[in-house]
Amino acid sequence: MMHHSFTLQHARATTRRHFFGQAGLGVGAIALQSMLSGPIQASQTNYRIPAKAKSIIYLHMAGSPSQLDLFEYKPALKKIHNTDCPQEYLEGKRFAFIKGTPKMLGPMFEYKQHGDSGQWLSELLPNLAKVVDDICVVRSVRTEQFNHAPAQLFMHTGNSFLGSPSMGSWVTYGLGSDNENLPGFVVLASGGKTPSAGKSLWGAGFLPTVYQGVQCRTDGGDPILFLSNPKGLDRKARRKTLDALNDLNRLQHQQVGDPETITRIAQFELAFRMQVSVPEVMDINKEPQHILDLYGAKPGYISDAESAADPRILYKGDDPTFANNCLLARRLVESGVRFVQLYDWGWDHHGTSPGESVDETLPIKSRQIDQAIAGLLTDLKQRGMLDETLVVWGGEFGRTPMMQNNQRTELVKGFIGRDHHPHAFTMWMAGGGIKPGSYGQTDEIGYYVGENPVSVRDMQSTILHQIGIDPHRFSFAYQGLNQRLIGPTNEGRVLRDILS
Amino acid sequence: MLNDYTTASHETQQPQFDRLLQFMGGDATVSMAENSRVRSLGSPKSNLCSTDKTRFSMVFKSGCSFSNITWLIAVLYSFPLWSDDTVEYNRDIRPILAKNCFACHGQDNASREAELRLDLRDTAVSSEAIVPGRPQDSELVARIESEDPELRMPPNDSGHSLTKSEIETIRQWISNGANYQQHWAFVPPIKVPPPKVNNAEWPRSPIDHFVLKKLEEKQMVPSPQAERAQLLRRVSLDLIGLPPTMDELEAFLVDKSDDPLGNVVDRLLESEAFGEHWARMWLDLARYADTKGYEKDRHRDIWRYRDWVIDALNADMPYDRFTIEQLAGDLLPNRTTDQILATAFHRNTMTNEEGGTDNEEFRVAAVKDRVDTTIQVWMGLTMGCAKCHSHKYDPISNGDYYAFYAYFNQTQDTDTEGPFWKTPTAAQAKKLADWERRIEDLTARAKKRPSGFPAALEKWKQSLDSPRLWETLDLANSKSENNVDFHQGENGIIVAGGKRPAKDTWTFYFDLPQAPNSTPVTSFRIEHLPQSMGGGDWPDANVAIRELKVELVEIDGTSRELKLANPRATFSQQGWSIEKAIDGKNDVGWALSPKFAEPQVAVFDLVEPVSSGQLKVTLDQQFGQSLLLARSRFSISRHSTSWLQAELSPNLEQVFAVHVFPMTMKAYAELAAAQNEVKKLRSSIPQTPVMLELKEAKRRKTKIHNRGNFLDQTDEVSPAVPSTFGTFPENAPPNRLGVAQWIMHRENPLTSRVMVNRIWARLFGAGLVETEEDFGTQGMEPSHPMMLDWLAVDFRDNGWSIKQLLRTIVMSSTYRQSSRVTDEQIARDSRNRWLGRGPRFRLPAETVRDQALAVSGLLSHQIGGPSVMPPQPPGVWKSTYSGEDWKNADGPNRYRRGLYTYRKRTSPYPAMITFDAGSGEVCQIRRIRTNTPLQALVTLNDTVFIEAAGALAQRMQTAKRILSDQIAYGFRLVLTRSAEPAEIARLVSLYDSLEFDQASSQQWLSAARLATGDPKMVAVANVILNLDETLMKP
Repeated sequence: MMHHSFTLQHARATTRRHFFGQAGLGVGAIALQSMLSGPIQASQTNYRIPAKAKSIIYLHMAGSPSQLDLFEYKPALKKIHNTDCPQEYLEGKRFAFIKGTPKMLGPMFEYKQHGDSGQWLSELLPNLAKVVDDICVVRSVRTEQFNHAPAQLFMHTGNSFLGSPSMGSWVTYGLGSDNENLPGFVVLASGGKTPSAGKSLWGAGFLPTVYQGVQCRTDGGDPILFLSNPKGLDRKARRKTLDALNDLNRLQHQQVGDPETITRIAQFELAFRMQVSVPEVMDINKEPQHILDLYGAKPGYISDAESAADPRILYKGDDPTFANNCLLARRLVESGVRFVQLYDWGWDHHGTSPGESVDETLPIKSRQIDQAIAGLLTDLKQRGMLDETLVVWGGEFGRTPMMQNNQRTELVKGFIGRDHHPHAFTMWMAGGGIKPGSYGQTDEIGYYVGENPVSVRDMQSTILHQIGIDPHRFSFAYQGLNQRLIGPTNEGRVLRDILS
Repeated sequence: MLNDYTTASHETQQPQFDRLLQFMGGDATVSMAENSRVRSLGSPKSNLCSTDKTRFSMVFKSGCSFSNITWLIAVLYSFPLWSDDTVEYNRDIRPILAKNCFACHGQDNASREAELRLDLRDTAVSSEAIVPGRPQDSELVARIESEDPELRMPPNDSGHSLTKSEIETIRQWISNGANYQQHWAFVPPIKVPPPKVNNAEWPRSPIDHFVLKKLEEKQMVPSPQAERAQLLRRVSLDLIGLPPTMDELEAFLVDKSDDPLGNVVDRLLESEAFGEHWARMWLDLARYADTKGYEKDRHRDIWRYRDWVIDALNADMPYDRFTIEQLAGDLLPNRTTDQILATAFHRNTMTNEEGGTDNEEFRVAAVKDRVDTTIQVWMGLTMGCAKCHSHKYDPISNGDYYAFYAYFNQTQDTDTEGPFWKTPTAAQAKKLADWERRIEDLTARAKKRPSGFPAALEKWKQSLDSPRLWETLDLANSKSENNVDFHQGENGIIVAGGKRPAKDTWTFYFDLPQAPNSTPVTSFRIEHLPQSMGGGDWPDANVAIRELKVELVEIDGTSRELKLANPRATFSQQGWSIEKAIDGKNDVGWALSPKFAEPQVAVFDLVEPVSSGQLKVTLDQQFGQSLLLARSRFSISRHSTSWLQAELSPNLEQVFAVHVFPMTMKAYAELAAAQNEVKKLRSSIPQTPVMLELKEAKRRKTKIHNRGNFLDQTDEVSPAVPSTFGTFPENAPPNRLGVAQWIMHRENPLTSRVMVNRIWARLFGAGLVETEEDFGTQGMEPSHPMMLDWLAVDFRDNGWSIKQLLRTIVMSSTYRQSSRVTDEQIARDSRNRWLGRGPRFRLPAETVRDQALAVSGLLSHQIGGPSVMPPQPPGVWKSTYSGEDWKNADGPNRYRRGLYTYRKRTSPYPAMITFDAGSGEVCQIRRIRTNTPLQALVTLNDTVFIEAAGALAQRMQTAKRILSDQIAYGFRLVLTRSAEPAEIARLVSLYDSLEFDQASSQQWLSAARLATGDPKMVAVANVILNLDETLMKP
């Protein structure tokens, strides 16, 4: 009924703000970047390199699991179990909680070798053991931070203070997304709490807010905030109101001529489509039973832990929340989402309160993730998606080879714990052009890196590299600097040895 | 095209020009213009008369201080700046060098290669990298042209390379003499007369001349004035963040005075909503939030600072005072509570309460944030990178950073919330003053002694002979677990002797003295007495009674515990109050540090009075460190407990007046009630974290942090300001106050420009310098440099009045233009940099909310106070360990302005963050506007917008009877204009097409918080609130 003089294409080509809108869910960043800010930017478009992975699934165990009880087989540590920690490991060190001289704490669980590669894994990861030949265990990661919030921020934003964009924001800013009807950067959280650093971990920092991670909720509410129409207004009625809205907006555009109006019409239409596409992709009921079983997923399950004041005491090994999120991650990636970030809270096993011990809580948390992650890797592989999906697993730091002694010095069941340990810890990557195997070594008790140290910057560089971004050239001009995920120095390097 | 130049100052004189030209050795000029063609330097004389041209230039001397810059810039020239074959340093050369060379050959000592500096002419020339006039002899040229990969610059692995045309430009520049220029923004602004324009009818204000001149140059024409109603909506949204009401619209449309817009502007600037709206901008800069950040991200009470900002803006506090009070209000002579409150600006830094963190690490982080924020907010520069190394592009070295940091490194806070300051609201302060006056009156009244008083007092005193007010108890028996000896002297003092153990538990037995008529015992007293009063071997030390137990032993030997109540003491150590001695727990108790060398008294009442038997008193003193009662005395009383205060020597006259004599008792009771009120009031006064300087003796030394690492500190530095921006003002104190004065010094080149630009950006959507956050050499050049400077000087010289500045801008023809845009305008100037049309852009997050609430009639107009929690979907807050909940407000707090919405840093309010508001983690100079589907979901579905739709629908239906009138009314309410017939028709047809059954009708109405109503009209109102025009500034 109403004529408008601009085609969408025309409008797209004309204004700057228009690009902002589109870039959020598709067109990508190059156009946006050139529009964003005038000052000299060292890198405008030259950061793109051939990509090994199309998308990333990043599994972050918030709180930081004990590498010594999952991946790091240390017979020497077992030998000195329950003896005083030598002073050389304590002098000049800053610990979060350890005071005085703690006892050494040997591995709490049995280790065996698995797969063709003969990789050592503890008994807590029996399912991961079956796919261990698909992952590359990086044993020698170290970080600069030993408190949760700063270390998480450092891992995900490259800056230990708040205010910088998350890796997922960087990646969607650099590459856009392949699905116009879904956000490019999706966050799924489990464990009952958001990680210590809060939603800042998926914030866009100084990048435009379109690049912030969109948290898709699985705890019973709207999967995306405000996605559902208010009760009583059904989809047919919403369609009618949007038709009227669009017509009036077109009339407005005819009168005023601002291409921004055309963008707005498009965004309202996209919102309308998302009302269908998001619940659809979030609905794991559509998966066949054998796939659900592969992950240990249970559609519609809402865990008590998700709404508890202290979820830790409610943890159960068969809680399928994380498994559901792993399955969702696959569905999202399959639908073209660029970056899926999973956070699972509850891995901070100091041994000081109920529900946070290495001896009792770690086995429960491990059960929650073990089958789910193995299922995810198996599923990606059987669909031929593992090659183009980079899966990353880790915490924000590791845990000490010493027992944490702030409450008691004797070993008490359910209260055995380890403190934060930034000097050496384990992460692993799989798929997305990463060569399975292992990389790096720690010393015989797992305190320091023995060979091939890997910094957080190296991990970030490698992740960007695999997704098709040159980490050194990829920047955004802000505060007089070409800001980068990997920070201002050139220390970060791509771990070429683990690329296939 | 005509040549470009101008003369601007009456001080311009030919001889000075010549002298300067010689001094500078050439055409060392600063162009304030962008995008201009350049002509060769002509005769200055011949151009002196050409005052109508838009280019001007300044002579500069690199690195000069305010004073010598002043005389240099006093001389302004008119001469052609540039021509087609001339290259200009700032425009053409610096960008090439900055991008490709300065990282290794700039001012950063640490990263400099081959000891070569190209950012200074002196060093570039003395090293022969550049030989002025002879590119062929310049090593720089040889290197950038070299075919040898070993020699070629920039090196291959740097990722940089020069294009052919860049190399040619550099050659050209060296041929012309390789002249450097100071960066435009580092030279103080001057006010040039507005240029003449062809269309003399259009300009209303000096700024219109600058704008029109530029448009005429571009062969563009300004847009016609916006329609009146549209202008009213625009200026209302801009000045107070709220749309005009129907009444305001009517009044404006019929205003036949000469200056209807002026009247409106005056009204808006006087409105209290003005301060609320503009406070939002300032709070973004102040990184205001209601929580502390990091892991626990707990609540912080700092909303009184927000009140301060609102009040200051409403009072049009001059920007210099506004600045000085926020940066250094605590250092002002005769500082007021409000001035100290203002310093909370820099207490919006985050504190980390995560267990096991190093407080010094986060204190240092907060101080660095203050440094960065100060320079960002007031001077539009970025200092952050100089934490680790000298700034690559702007003249701020690593040493400069820490020298400036040293000023901020002397406050008392240490990653803790304190120090606090009591910051009563105006209402509280008034109430308090009233009460205090009242207490003065009551005290005077209570002190009066009526005529019968002395005689009655004497009589009462005599009655205290038996029983006495306090009867000292005689020790019958004693026990110590560690064999302490006890000896009771004549004065009743029990002196402990022998070896003083680390801890002990004592049991004392006292026979209750006989009393006439078996008057029951009402209270029990312990006195701690210093050595001076009782002798003994044990020196005075602290005492820690973890638990006190009193039992009654009957004649038959059975005993029962006597419950003690109403404990009171002359003094208790912090955390060791007297209540804790009888709380049944052997943890902490009553202790006396630091006042253990003075006598102290504790009194307890007996819940159940007893008259005879033996008292068994058990004293648990198992703390350690020998904190034992060295000299003590125990007494009982049989009198009214209200007479028995914890006093060393009870003032009987006072006791009688307060508790016994009826005529005085009443006055004292009133006084006590008043004092109680004051106490309650005082404890309700918000305590705000503020900046307070450390005492002289506790000042910190500041050292350079190697690569920004606070654990690795190197050379000590003295406080100083970055030298490029002038010397510290004479007589300014060497502290934050001096820094504030330096920032507000009239010759600071940046302060005024940055603020004027910021205000401009809020009104026009983009700053004249688009990179509001960066006025340094990496920032963008101003679109209208002379207008920026005109405004900057005008702002500074007119008493730094923000309201006046706003008035100047919104009264201009430039601002009044229609925002309608033609295809041609989009083709010529899609982003409206040349201001040939009015501003049209999406409203900020808070305004989107406030407008919906205002037009629907729901908005609460309450100003100030603590933050509120409007509805937010459940489960959004799941913060680690904080134990704090979001509770959806009911009543008026549900509908407060967005400014007051609770801001939790790690979990920002979803609707706000979706519309580009920040989370208050760091200083946010500007919000980059986006247009996303998530925004559509907010305005379509978020509770507040549905409730607004409900209220709006009711308003529409209450006001009018016929459907089309109702819709027209809704349009007018929301958009301040009449609806077109087509628009009404479209919404009527929507209305007619909607169908709600009973159930869905109920649900939809209840979502809109309506008990009854018309669900179809709610849907129509929802559409009106989502119109593009609604969300945009017209």
